[in-house]
Amino acid sequence: MWMKSEDEMVEAVLGGDKQYFELLLHPYRQGILNMAYRVTGNLEEAKEICQEAFIKIYRYLGKFKKGKSFKSWIYKITMNSTYDFLRKKKRHEDLLEYHKSSLVNAVRDPEDLFSKKEMKLKVESLLKILSPKERMIFLLRDGEGFSIKETSDALGCSSISVRTHLSQARRKIRERFEEVYRGRR
Amino acid sequence: MSCYKVQRLLPLMLGSELSRRKIQAINAHLKKCSKCKQEYDSYVLSFERTRKLLRKNRQDWQEWEWQRAVKNALKEEPSRVYPLAPWPYKKAWAYVVMAVFTVVLALFIVRPSFIWEERESESEMISEIKKPPSGQQDIISMTIVSKETGIKIVWFFNKNFDLKEKK
Repeated sequence: MWMKSEDEMVEAVLGGDKQYFELLLHPYRQGILNMAYRVTGNLEEAKEICQEAFIKIYRYLGKFKKGKSFKSWIYKITMNSTYDFLRKKKRHEDLLEYHKSSLVNAVRDPEDLFSKKEMKLKVESLLKILSPKERMIFLLRDGEGFSIKETSDALGCSSISVRTHLSQARRKIRERFEEVYRGRR
Repeated sequence: MSCYKVQRLLPLMLGSELSRRKIQAINAHLKKCSKCKQEYDSYVLSFERTRKLLRKNRQDWQEWEWQRAVKNALKEEPSRVYPLAPWPYKKAWAYVVMAVFTVVLALFIVRPSFIWEERESESEMISEIKKPPSGQQDIISMTIVSKETGIKIVWFFNKNFDLKEKK
């Protein structure tokens, strides 16, 4: 059962063997949750987005093109579900403000002393300076280890666009990193 | 390679996104230019620490939440594949119908000569013209047989070409 390729598992699920659906998603369960989490900054919302993405993945499994990257396909669905979620909540445009306010709240929170909270704060402070597209590309490429091709497939843009945004994101992160960490030394 | 160009390409040096030729040129430049080397080291440091932060800050599902999410997704039936989906999902019957339709449409538009000429030959009514034997110039008969209906028409002409029809 474990020896099946992703294409074979897709066919098995379409043939009615539902147990393979979980096996198909299992390698990416952490990755897609973290993608959604990094964008929304809220774990519960990220889980809600993933739930919606899983439903879409199962519903449209028949449209998955055999031989293509299943990983890119499910990340693309997750990205779209994330955007849909943000659009529904009318938060897409206010995403930066949202991150800023959550940072302010986190600083005032006494739990800030705990290392986990502090870690989240650091990650958010690094990511908040990126545009949504830069953030997506940076997280896929540097966070999830996607290749340039996989990233461009998942986001539906050209590899040149991926390189440009990635370069910009790394430059911003480096500047922010120096500002936040080196300044404190 | 100039410092300006090297500094533009430095972010892409981190994840091997450049060609080998460019990487060699940049490395050669970094050996000579301490300012660019310092900037490159700063990129490497920020890159590694950011990745470390992302790794440490990774979230995961609780097992029961994961099982519930997968179970909820399986409640709906997967959508049926539409007929024009790529092979091997396409429906054979849809393509047979499309092929037949295309051939008929092509025949209607192109009208190949072997069909239309044959129909024209079928429409010819005159199959035989009997000429009277020599020496009897006063009466001439002509028989016309239709291949479509089988009707046979015999025309008789006298020497003045007055028609006497007999069916």
